[in-house]
Amino acid sequence: GNRELVLFYSQIGVDVKKNVIVTISSDKGLCQDEQGYVQVGFCLLISKVCSDLNSGPDKEIKYVILGEKAKAQLIRDSRKDIELSITDLQKNPLNYTQVSVLADDILKNVEFDALRIIFNKFQSVVSFLPTMATILSPEVIEREAESGGKPGDLDSYEVEGGETKAEVLQNLSEFQFSCVMFNAVLEHACSEQGARMSAMDSSSRNAGDMLDRLTLTYNRTRQAAITTELIEIISGASALTG
Amino acid sequence: MVIIPATTGQMGVLPGHVATIAELKPGVLSVHDGNDVSKYFVSSGFAFIHANSFADIVAVEAVPLDQIDASQVQKGLAEFNQKLSSASTDLEKAEAQIGVDVHSALNFALSG
Repeated sequence: GNRELVLFYSQIGVDVKKNVIVTISSDKGLCQDEQGYVQVGFCLLISKVCSDLNSGPDKEIKYVILGEKAKAQLIRDSRKDIELSITDLQKNPLNYTQVSVLADDILKNVEFDALRIIFNKFQSVVSFLPTMATILSPEVIEREAESGGKPGDLDSYEVEGGETKAEVLQNLSEFQFSCVMFNAVLEHACSEQGARMSAMDSSSRNAGDMLDRLTLTYNRTRQAAITTELIEIISGASALTG
Repeated sequence: MVIIPATTGQMGVLPGHVATIAELKPGVLSVHDGNDVSKYFVSSGFAFIHANSFADIVAVEAVPLDQIDASQVQKGLAEFNQKLSSASTDLEKAEAQIGVDVHSALNFALSG
């Protein structure tokens, strides 16, 4: 049953003031195809999301950046909006502990109404889908639940544990954030590997093609030079005898 | 049937259980399938019981009971008890307390 994903997952339609965009990108390069898809797909999604989210007074957007590549691109026009940037995430193999510490950091230091995590979802070795997952802050969830929005489904659940329902939901929201982050980071790592694999594969093939062409050219040139020399020698020799 | 270690105590879940979101504490999760019982130690997490009789249990870490080393558990328990008595700040106390709670639960799981 994937109902809990449905409970929280795509709340894109929810209107909030403070959006914090968490972009997940690669540190190392060599993973772009001819159109630079892995990076381009990202930027298109981010600019679309920004224009959707920023239409209105008091709305602000801040960024939390994971990965060198997004940092390099976003630092050009949105330097003042970057709250946190983290690189070298994949120095050690990805694990939940590392991501939960990261999530903790973000939750403690960044104020938000909604967190939008943008990453590349792995579909196959050659296709990735730029995706956005939304996590709402507990206050926004309360507000939406009261006004009868989608999170209102939450009311049909009994909540066990903790002193108050709000406390459990706060814990749940933080736990959900770290889980979604973990998923996003893994999906992205997968997409990056797939993109790198196909990029390296096509560059190997291109190098092979170039090698073949150059070998042919080399042989032809070499043979032409030998033929020229032969002709010179033979005509010289026949000039002497004849 | 599943017995989950909720913060409010061991909770038995049968088909038709009311829809619930339960926060978990370190403890034993046992899955009863007819006469087969599989037991896991769960470090913490959340359990979602849906109205359609599906239950999702999201645990930070879950280990089958037979894979836990009892001597390591004793060592860890002693270590955290010592940290708890020598802790000075609230944060240190809280961290040591968590260590003690988890190891005590592990100990109890192995003996019970």
